[in-house]
Amino acid sequence: MPDGAPIYLDYAATAPLDARVAEVMSNCLRDPTLQGNPASGHAPGRAAAACVEFARGQVAQLVGAQPETIVFTSGATESVNLAVLGAARAAGSGKRHVVTARTEHRAALDACRQLEREGFTVGWLKPGTDGGVDPGQVAAALRPDTALVSLMHANNETGMINDIAAVGRMCRERGVTFHVDAAQSAGKLPIDVDGMGVALLSFCAHKLGGPKGIGALYLRHRPRPALQPLQFGGGHERGLRAGSLATHQIVGFGLACELARVGLATEPARIRALRERLWAGLQPAAPVARNGAAEPGLPGILNVRFPGVEGESLLFALDGSLAASSGSACSSATAEPSYVLRALGLSDLAAQASLRLSLGRETTEEEIDRAARLLVACVRRLRAALPAGAIEAIA
Amino acid sequence: MTGSHTTYSPLVRSLFERLPHAGDLAPGPGAVVHGEAIALDRGAWVRYEARIEDGRVADCAFRAWGCPHTLAAAALVASRMHGHGIDAEAVFDVRRLAAELGAPPEKLGRLLVVEDALIGMLAQALALQST
Repeated sequence: MPDGAPIYLDYAATAPLDARVAEVMSNCLRDPTLQGNPASGHAPGRAAAACVEFARGQVAQLVGAQPETIVFTSGATESVNLAVLGAARAAGSGKRHVVTARTEHRAALDACRQLEREGFTVGWLKPGTDGGVDPGQVAAALRPDTALVSLMHANNETGMINDIAAVGRMCRERGVTFHVDAAQSAGKLPIDVDGMGVALLSFCAHKLGGPKGIGALYLRHRPRPALQPLQFGGGHERGLRAGSLATHQIVGFGLACELARVGLATEPARIRALRERLWAGLQPAAPVARNGAAEPGLPGILNVRFPGVEGESLLFALDGSLAASSGSACSSATAEPSYVLRALGLSDLAAQASLRLSLGRETTEEEIDRAARLLVACVRRLRAALPAGAIEAIA
Repeated sequence: MTGSHTTYSPLVRSLFERLPHAGDLAPGPGAVVHGEAIALDRGAWVRYEARIEDGRVADCAFRAWGCPHTLAAAALVASRMHGHGIDAEAVFDVRRLAAELGAPPEKLGRLLVVEDALIGMLAQALALQST
């Protein structure tokens, strides 16, 4: 981040574009030999297609897949929509039941609500207070007519990691299609789609230093899950996602995946240590509590609440100094408390007193220490103005 | 989950950064009165405290929990109470205050909590004066 810019602790929303990715994208956009449509058979088209296929391999490798299993989309939201709607609709008339959790991203929740409008029944799992979905809950929810189970690998607000491999085994044994939303975990945790028993897996570029506007859906090769496309017009991506491929976006996505894959050897441990340093640095602001369990959790997400502190005031106090996310939903003008935190059992006020701090590749120790000092000072200042008894009453 | 998209006027920014008159009253002569309004469901909790001398507010302080508009409004009203008679309506009109602060319509309910706390405090001051 440039000098004077706020400390950026909102990597779970989006990661800054990696300079190396920006360069390769820029080169792709400028290179006169790469201006063809990758679907065209002429030389410029074939050159663009070669770039796309090279990147497809890089993207596939990040999740332990083969290149031909990757379908490019516009991002994780589209991938999740395609997986949830496409798999449920393709399952046939005897399979009208879907299982998901209340703490999923809106991309999955809203897709499941759409399925309900179409006559499907959705089993909504409630996670435990640690934020995780127990595989036993999934087992109990499965029915003979279950078409699909859709779960996050890691929660976007708390970072809590679900036991995907256990659910994957169960789904495979029962012949149920299993979709995993890996928007937060791809490039942050090792993923092996075969070992995890995943049939469909959604992820995107911009959470891992790639460009916005490009994502992927992994589609298992054998047995291949049935999937209905959502858009039509050209038969691109094996008929599953029509539309001309954006060569430069895909090239950037590919390099971002490659960089993330290489970084998996060291970055999770470094970022986890920074997260714990931040948590320790916040202790002078006690009372302060962690939302969701620390482990198993994504290395880069720390969701904290400061009892007695009003969320909007905290964000405003930090404005210009620190970029983070509040415990309120972005989709509402009236700052609705986070449905994820409420599903974990927090009250509306506790959810609103929460902050998601998410770290990433460019986060430094110096930034973490500065962020902790800043947060402690802001929390203390706001608490100094509280009426007597407010911390206890609002907590 | 993301940051707030609310915009804040320069006056709200200035008051929020300084929070003038937040905290407790300084020791001094005169009777101390207070008023408090709590509406957690609306997102505001305000408590005023004032020292009354010769029918006027000699000093006024507030404590509050709420959004930046609530804190700014509580601070602005506390500032204006200094040296003022114990006549709330002359000082406080919630719609005028909202306009002055550039508060969006959905914040009116919170500013009414500020008003309730002030009215409570002034009612106590009036009762004190009548005795």
